[in-house]
Amino acid sequence: MKVFSNQVTYDYSWDEVSTANWRKYGPWNNKSEHVIAVDTLSRRVDPETGVLRTERLITCKQAAPDWIKSLLGGNMEESFVYEASYVDPQSKTVTMVSQNLTWSNLVRVQEEVVYKPLSDHQTQFIQSARITALCGGWQRIKNGIEDSLCTRFKENAVKGREGFERVLEMSRIVFAEEKERLQQQLM
Amino acid sequence: MSASLAPECNEVKERYDTCFLKWYSEKYLRGAEKDNKECAGLFNEYQKCLSVALKNRGIDKLLDEAREDNKENDSSNVWLDLLAAEKGMPADALACGEA
Repeated sequence: MKVFSNQVTYDYSWDEVSTANWRKYGPWNNKSEHVIAVDTLSRRVDPETGVLRTERLITCKQAAPDWIKSLLGGNMEESFVYEASYVDPQSKTVTMVSQNLTWSNLVRVQEEVVYKPLSDHQTQFIQSARITALCGGWQRIKNGIEDSLCTRFKENAVKGREGFERVLEMSRIVFAEEKERLQQQLM
Repeated sequence: MSASLAPECNEVKERYDTCFLKWYSEKYLRGAEKDNKECAGLFNEYQKCLSVALKNRGIDKLLDEAREDNKENDSSNVWLDLLAAEKGMPADALACGEA
């Protein structure tokens, strides 16, 4: 098993970050071409805790390294990820847990992400992923698969940060414009 | 907003996403409302469209298994792992490590 870990501080409030997070893979993000669709499967607020629970299906299109393709065979073009997320507005925490739906008999990828406030205008993003190759056989091949996926996570994390910064910036601009328009309507 | 995996659901998905985001930022985060009633109709319409696409592609079965796996996350604190990892981690770190 390999563990990928990542931490980023965003200079935006938790409210802004947790809102922008819902449009992370939208057109404002020009660095996430590998995510081609995000569908909401269920959504509900727990009446007791007030926690918003959302299930989403994320569709990715990313070429796997050639040697993995030849090893696993089949169509590797599209892959699916299941994500369950929990927003607790009381403690100001967003927690997201994801796992791969595709090739799940060969490799297991479990990701956890948390967004929480550092201050009124700073939010911390903490990400960790556990990558386990399940295929029997040579340890070297298992290690190779795990290393290659972990490197992919790293590359995507760098792009993810850049893309999300842009989404946050755009969200702030649009929100300010919206506010101004509302104020003008009231006058 | 991002696309749906089923192009035929894109339009209703877009309307639902817009409705949800408005509710989330203007009502939910401000503690004004727990229920998302105003978007319920759009959500049902979107789900009707999406469920057909999921079934046709066989994704519904994969999802059932994943949901079964995720049950413990609903009841326990999944972020315990993260908080433990965080302690030994420098700020803004990015790394691949052995378990």
